[in-house]
Amino acid sequence: MEQIRNDIVDYLKANSFMDNNSSLNDNDSLTQKGIIDSIGLLELMDYICEKYSIEIPEDLLTPENFDSLQGITNMITKLAK
Amino acid sequence: MSKLVCKKCVLDSDIPGIQINEDTGLCHFCETYAPLTSQEKNEYLSRIGELFKQYRGKGNYDVIYALSGGKDSSYTLYKLKKDYPFLKIRAVQFDNGFTSENAIKNAQKMCKITGCDYFQLTMEKEVLYNTFRKAAESYDAFPKFAKYRASDICNVCITIIKQKLIEQAILQKAPFIIFAFTAGQSPNPIINLSVNFIQWSRNLFEKQLQKIGVDDKDEMFLLKKEVLENIGENVPSILHPLCLWDYSEDKVLETLLEIGWEPPGISDSNSTNCTLNSFACYNHLEKYGFHPYAFDVAGLVRSGEMSREEGLEKINQELSQPLIEEAARKLKLKIKSSQKVIVKI
Repeated sequence: MEQIRNDIVDYLKANSFMDNNSSLNDNDSLTQKGIIDSIGLLELMDYICEKYSIEIPEDLLTPENFDSLQGITNMITKLAK
Repeated sequence: MSKLVCKKCVLDSDIPGIQINEDTGLCHFCETYAPLTSQEKNEYLSRIGELFKQYRGKGNYDVIYALSGGKDSSYTLYKLKKDYPFLKIRAVQFDNGFTSENAIKNAQKMCKITGCDYFQLTMEKEVLYNTFRKAAESYDAFPKFAKYRASDICNVCITIIKQKLIEQAILQKAPFIIFAFTAGQSPNPIINLSVNFIQWSRNLFEKQLQKIGVDDKDEMFLLKKEVLENIGENVPSILHPLCLWDYSEDKVLETLLEIGWEPPGISDSNSTNCTLNSFACYNHLEKYGFHPYAFDVAGLVRSGEMSREEGLEKINQELSQPLIEEAARKLKLKIKSSQKVIVKI
C-alpha cells in the first residue's frame, strides 16, 4: 500500500501536478487541492493502468476512488489482486 | 542561480515547478519523454479506422467536430474527410465573442469544401465578456497543471467547448467527438468517455466557474444535466487524429492556402482565429510570469514537430499591443499602458 501511495505521489511530482516540496495527506481531495482537473485525471488514469497493468471499470471511476491517495491506493490494491 | 533553459525544448528553470538537470541540460519532461513510435501511431490510426467502420451511421452524425476556423482545426477537418470520406460530420464553431470574422468565413468555407454541416454555437456577448473578465481577474482558480496547458481565459473557453461538444454528441447520438489537438496538447489519441467521468468533469467545471465567480445556473456553459440524464448507451469517445499525423506548420498552411483557406489577418503568433488570445497571454504572463504556450510549444519541439529555434522565436515574439488593447476595452479591464509586452525566456 505504502509503495503504491509513494508511486502516485512521485508521478504527480515528476509531472508537475504538484511541487516537489509540497505534501499531501492520504484523504486530501486532489481536485479541491488544485492538483488535478479532468485532463489531469485522464493522464493519471493512463499512468495507473499502464504501471499496474489493470483496467479500471467504469463503475469505479468515481471521486471516492480517484480523488484522494487513499481512494486510489485502495482501488489499485483491489484491482491488482 | 542563473536561469537554465532546457537544451532540447524551450522550458526554463524560471517557470514554477520546472527542474533542469544541470548534468544533462534537460528538463524533467524531456528526460522522461517517450514519444509514440511510428508503429504505435499506425496502430492508433488503424484502431480509429476500425472504430469509424464499426460505429458510423448509427446517429444523426458520426462526428461532432470542434472547428475554430484556425489553421489546425481547418487542416484536420480537410484531412479527416479526405482519409474517411464516408464520415457524416457536424462541425461546431464556438463564437466566444472574439472569433475573428475571417475565422468564421474560413470555418464556413471549410465546411463547404469538405461537405460537412456547419453549426455555430454562441451566447450573449456580455455574458461571455463577463465570464472572461472574471477568468482574467482570478488567480489560481485552476489546478497548477492546467495553468501550464493554457491561460485561465483559454482554460475557461476550451472547457465550455468540451462541455457543449459532449452535449451535442449526446443529443445527435454521434459516437465521436474530434479535436485538432497537436501532440503537445493532447494526452491520448483515443479517449473512451464514461458517464461517471462526464459527470465528474461537469462537476469540476461547475466548481471552477464558481471559483472565478460565475454561477452558471442556466447551464449555458455546462453540459445540461437533463441531457446527461438521458445519455442512454450513447457515450461518445474523443479522438485526436492530428497528433498521429505528420505535422509541420508550413505544410499545414501550404495545404490550406491551396484549397482556399484565407490567412487570418490578425497579428497573433499563437492563434489564427481568436482576437482574445493576445490578451489571454498578456494576462497569464502578468499573473504567473511565464508564457501559456510554453508547454504547448515545448511539446511540439520535444516531439520534433517544430524546431527549437522556431519554438523559442514563437514564445519570445512580442504580443500584439493593438489586440491586447482591443480585448481589454471589451472586457473593461485595465492594462499597463503602452507597455511593450515581450515574453522573457
